[in-house]
Amino acid sequence: MDQSRHRKGWKALLALVALLALVAAACADDDADTAEDEQEEEATEEAVDDDDGEADGEAAADGEVEGTLRIALFTDEDSISDPRVESFNEVYPDVAVEFLPISAVDWEDYFTAVLAEVAAGNTPDLVAVATEGTQLFAAEGLGHPLDEFVERDAEELEDYFDDVHPALVEAMMYEGSLYQFPDDWNAANMYLNTSLLEEAGLEMPDADWTKDDFEDYARAIAEETDADFGYGWTNRLWGSWMPWIFANDGNLFTEERAPGGEWLWERFYAEDPAAEGRGGGWRWEEPTANSPEVVEALEYVVELRDEGLTPAVEIGGGELLEGFFASEQMGMTPAGGFWAGGLAGAGMEPGDFDVQLWPEWESQRHQFGTAGFVMTDDSENKEAAWAWIKHTIQREVMELRPEHQANVTTPVRRSMVNDERYADTGPANWETFYATLDDHPETAPIPAPPIANPMTEAFVRWTQLAVSGAETPQEAMDGLQAELEEILEAHGDQY
Amino acid sequence: MATDTSVAERRTLRTAFSTKDMDGLRRRRALLGYVFLSPSIVGISIFTAIPIVVALLLSLFEWNLITDPEFVGLANYERLVSDARTLTTFLNTAIFVALAVGLQLGIALMLALGLQRAMPGWLRVGLRAAYVFPLLTSAASISIVLTYTFNESFGIANYYLGLVGIDPVPWLNSSPYALFAVVLTFVWHQLGFTFLIILGGVASMPRDVLDAADVDGAAGWRRLVHITIPLVSPSLLVAAVMSFINAMQVFDQPYVMTRGGPGDSTRTVVMGIYDAAFRNLELGYGAAISVVLFVLILLVTALQFRLSTRWVFYQ
Repeated sequence: MDQSRHRKGWKALLALVALLALVAAACADDDADTAEDEQEEEATEEAVDDDDGEADGEAAADGEVEGTLRIALFTDEDSISDPRVESFNEVYPDVAVEFLPISAVDWEDYFTAVLAEVAAGNTPDLVAVATEGTQLFAAEGLGHPLDEFVERDAEELEDYFDDVHPALVEAMMYEGSLYQFPDDWNAANMYLNTSLLEEAGLEMPDADWTKDDFEDYARAIAEETDADFGYGWTNRLWGSWMPWIFANDGNLFTEERAPGGEWLWERFYAEDPAAEGRGGGWRWEEPTANSPEVVEALEYVVELRDEGLTPAVEIGGGELLEGFFASEQMGMTPAGGFWAGGLAGAGMEPGDFDVQLWPEWESQRHQFGTAGFVMTDDSENKEAAWAWIKHTIQREVMELRPEHQANVTTPVRRSMVNDERYADTGPANWETFYATLDDHPETAPIPAPPIANPMTEAFVRWTQLAVSGAETPQEAMDGLQAELEEILEAHGDQY
Repeated sequence: MATDTSVAERRTLRTAFSTKDMDGLRRRRALLGYVFLSPSIVGISIFTAIPIVVALLLSLFEWNLITDPEFVGLANYERLVSDARTLTTFLNTAIFVALAVGLQLGIALMLALGLQRAMPGWLRVGLRAAYVFPLLTSAASISIVLTYTFNESFGIANYYLGLVGIDPVPWLNSSPYALFAVVLTFVWHQLGFTFLIILGGVASMPRDVLDAADVDGAAGWRRLVHITIPLVSPSLLVAAVMSFINAMQVFDQPYVMTRGGPGDSTRTVVMGIYDAAFRNLELGYGAAISVVLFVLILLVTALQFRLSTRWVFYQ
């Protein structure tokens, strides 16, 4: 009797599982049908594009673009209020813009979150991506090259390219194709707390100051003022001790330019001498982490730490440093235009701080990072995505961007980096930002090959070991070199 | 008497209903049982059973989210046993678990026993609330605050140590200190849960046994070891198992405070899974590590219950 009851129980359970399986299968069928339908629609759209791309472009310009546009942004805000949407909808009323806000500590965490969205089948149409991820998105096929759109709408884009330094555009190219339009950028310049300089009896340094001058400044601030430290930096890829590597003529990888890109340089920068010799984007192929230049740069920052001129090096985005700098506990730090708004928000007045070029060591080569929107390859609404890119790089629309209004990043357009912009926040020497590119044409983006995510993790980890004293700089960089070689071997060809 | 009534009722029922009716009734009752169980079955299937099966399958593949998965058999497991960094995460986690579980149980037991002493009611309620409050806050928030607290140059911990003449401690920048700082943060956050479990056990200790111990003159350490702990042992077992499982899965504190550093000194297994799966886009390898972690937790938990027969006393 009991056995019979158990059998019946199992039958009932199996029936329930079967029912669930059927429901799941039905859902899967629905999904499959939908996916097939979508594929067919996409194929049809592509065929139309192929037949009459020009007409489509005209249609787009006429405001016939429609649908929903999902845009992933790196932000701490839960709900985004962006005036660019209203401006966009005035021209493209049939496109609904949805933001996908992603909060993260640094760019690599943000990219991870975006990739998780992609894996879950929620690929956004556009993703805000910085230099750190440009080649990751391009090389893995997640980003869609913009070449065909640029060539189609070239005339409308002339005003943008006239106003943007070619080095920033080149940083957004991969193997000859343009993947992003830079919207903002930041070079690692030196911020100085002018109140502390005054207390130490120092003047703002000249643009051609050297590493020795810098050291004198750091020592004077630490010893002659109430500040605890002369200089501070945070452990990450951009900023950190990377500026010292660049100034010492080193890098984590060999650098060369990919072939290609003439289609862009000849069309938009034919008259610009700064565009001469530029190629189809950067290639960072062979690791050089334990080269003498890199090891020497690390030894230098470790010495500063050992001498008590810098505080303990923390990992992260730099909020802690901002607090120390604003509260006059630290005199100097690497930062870009993004710090102007941040320091103003922290209560500093325009005259409380200023900016200067990075001090000269073997050279005065600077590093920079830039950012813009990547159009995803899986986007089903590429015309709307392109319309957004094209619309938001216009000068008047770029002015609407909340980050530009708050000066928490540097606009790529030269015309927007002006006295009026920095009048309320400072710095007084804002011309330094674009001078970094104009006066130092050797300035280049931070190394960010397709393996940027594991590379950054390894770079931060080995740096941590060196600055904590657990390893010597040489040992740490030998370790980093070996790990980068392993990462490359596991990844395979990057270019 | 009750049994007789029950037998009589059954006889009455048998006469009232045919065997067929009885079977129908049983079927309906069984079906009702499954209906009540179905939310749990569906929930466990979707959120536990299916992910376990998927993780098991995924661990046999190489997949980077972007290209198609490739079947690689046991290659991910072979890699795991020869991957020094992953093995380090298991070692770190073992040390972390030993420290965290030991501290949690010890401190929670002391606090629970301390609350049994005579004190004003408001103080007892206040202390009980204070011990549990950290549990109500998110682990990430607590970790951020304690990152500032433990900052070597500007943190409040070193400030107070400096007042008594102790040099700044590199809490988060030196391997042994970093692990200790992360353990302290974890214990402070999780202590409330362990405390509540043990407090329940302490509060239900039989008064007569304690009174007899008093009469026999048992006090101090001997009373704790021979009377109190055996009486609280069932609660200690539950607390030990829960704390162990929690500690094995630690992620938030080391991720926020040290990112696993310096080097790999605070990198835990779950951080290793996160890095493998979502930073390096090696989902198969990440799944293989998670399967091994799952099996380890299962085995150690089973062992805890098996060994409990030697030290847990049920009244």
